Amino acid sequence: MNGTTIKVLYFAQVAELTGMREEQWPLPQPVSGTTWLSQLETRYPQLAPVKRLKLAVNQYHVSHGTLIQPGDEVAVFEPVTGG
Amino acid sequence: MIVVQQADFDAAALTAHLRSSTEGRAGSIVTFTGYVRDYAQDASTKALFLEHYPGMCEREIESLCTEARSRWNVLDSIVVHRVGELHLKDQIVFIAIASAHRGDAFSACEYIIDALKTRAPFWKRETLTSGEQFWVQRRDSDTRKTALWNEVPLPEENKEKP
Repeated sequence: MNGTTIKVLYFAQVAELTGMREEQWPLPQPVSGTTWLSQLETRYPQLAPVKRLKLAVNQYHVSHGTLIQPGDEVAVFEPVTGG
Repeated sequence: MIVVQQADFDAAALTAHLRSSTEGRAGSIVTFTGYVRDYAQDASTKALFLEHYPGMCEREIESLCTEARSRWNVLDSIVVHRVGELHLKDQIVFIAIASAHRGDAFSACEYIIDALKTRAPFWKRETLTSGEQFWVQRRDSDTRKTALWNEVPLPEENKEKP
């Protein structure tokens, strides 16, 4: 992975709505989760409203205020329903 | 021990393993087993499909077990969670906690299943007998129950000495 992209993972309903499970996403500068989610919504309007979606960065749950850095692994999903 | 697998598990064998690994120090082992049941209010469940985030799932469950150990006296623990296609009455999840005393074992077991439901990255897609499919939505009651644990004080003996 180079320093100007992030690896994005989609799970469950989000994967169905985007039609893919994984993609590389250009990210030359750090952005907040909120900003990145709005870019995601522009690309995949079917995900709206993105405010309900959860983010994990490098396999840890994070709030939408967290900064996403180039090189990160970012996962997008609905609230979890295991157990 | 933390395992995420498609295969079924033998709850009795896992409990026996924990009893053996704790070498007589466990005065109690509390276990919890979750099964596939009819989820929908007005329709019959035929199957569930469980998806997960490999890597993060195991790490998140590991951190729940570490938190349980810091709050209660836990000698050892086992968590097994299944993924893939499951049918009505199948086993989904197994948690076993070995402790010197039952109070710690009961609390740690309940804490882990509550926190797992709101933190471990698993998602359930339900298929009804009618053929209709949908992703199960998080229950507000599960979110509230996990939040309640933040208000439970630590047991006296686990508190830091002044």
